[in-house]
Amino acid sequence: MTSNSKLLKGKTAIITGCLKGIGRATMDLFAQNGADIFACCQFESEEFKHHIEVLSKDTCVLIYPLYFDLCDSEQIKTAIKFIRSAKRNIDVLVNIAGMTQDALFHMTTIDQLKKIFEVNFFSQIMFTQYVTKLMLQNKTGSVINISSISAIDGNMGQLSYSSSKAAIIGATKTMSIELAPYGIRVNALAPGVIKTDMTANLPIDILDKQLGKIKLKYFGFPLEVASSILFLASDMSSYITGQIIRIDGGMQ
Amino acid sequence: MTNIEKYNKAFVDNFNIEEQELSSISYQSISAWDSIGHMGLIASLEETFDIMMETDDIIDFSSYLKGKEILKKYDIEL
Repeated sequence: MTSNSKLLKGKTAIITGCLKGIGRATMDLFAQNGADIFACCQFESEEFKHHIEVLSKDTCVLIYPLYFDLCDSEQIKTAIKFIRSAKRNIDVLVNIAGMTQDALFHMTTIDQLKKIFEVNFFSQIMFTQYVTKLMLQNKTGSVINISSISAIDGNMGQLSYSSSKAAIIGATKTMSIELAPYGIRVNALAPGVIKTDMTANLPIDILDKQLGKIKLKYFGFPLEVASSILFLASDMSSYITGQIIRIDGGMQ
Repeated sequence: MTNIEKYNKAFVDNFNIEEQELSSISYQSISAWDSIGHMGLIASLEETFDIMMETDDIIDFSSYLKGKEILKKYDIEL
């Protein structure tokens, strides 16, 4: 890819959940496309530190690692203050951090439900409130949330996950209306089964069943989701807001 | 620039009004201070004073004078 084709050249992005999976693939792709990045993770690791050092050097972009727990409002505030102190225009926010805890409907405790909502919804809303305030004055920005096809179609044993991701869809649509006057676009992706740690431990029989539903007959790769995130982050999608895009290989 | 000058500047810049009008203005009393202008003002004040306002305070920030009271909570003396 030549420098002329870098879709995010000159832009600054904040990405949560960068440690692995879709978040890591997105961070890598954004760096390759010229974005400076605030890379947010819950935990510090030597492997991650080394990875961003190499990535930053290879792609000639700045990557600021930020380690904080999205469920801790004080840690969120500290992270935002750090981002603000960098005095950079924030162009893109990608909310990827999330978790799942599968259980059948009648086996799901309210405490489990609250925990999943805390991580997948409330903390992301709070973080987005703060970040979009940084975007307001620039009158431009793109927010990309990660929902799930289970939020649209439902999925056996995923009451808490699917409902928290459905909440993300509602929030995405409402935010897109309220933030449009500031030039901020808000969209969400709904990935299907993607090869990540989150799906690695699923039983073979369930994976086989899922594979049977996919028209393209393979599980998606994190890079395939990251590519769509890149599109929504870039000016290529300047007239798209309030949309939920399925990335599922044609799941039915 | 003093804190009160910074505070006033945030209103003047966001709402494009004269400084002598400030003491009487409140949310929606002028067309520029609508819900969109409100968030622009809050963002300016947060950046100017390096604070992060609680949602309840953003809602309560209903006038120029009320805003002064609210900023005291964040140790901003005007």
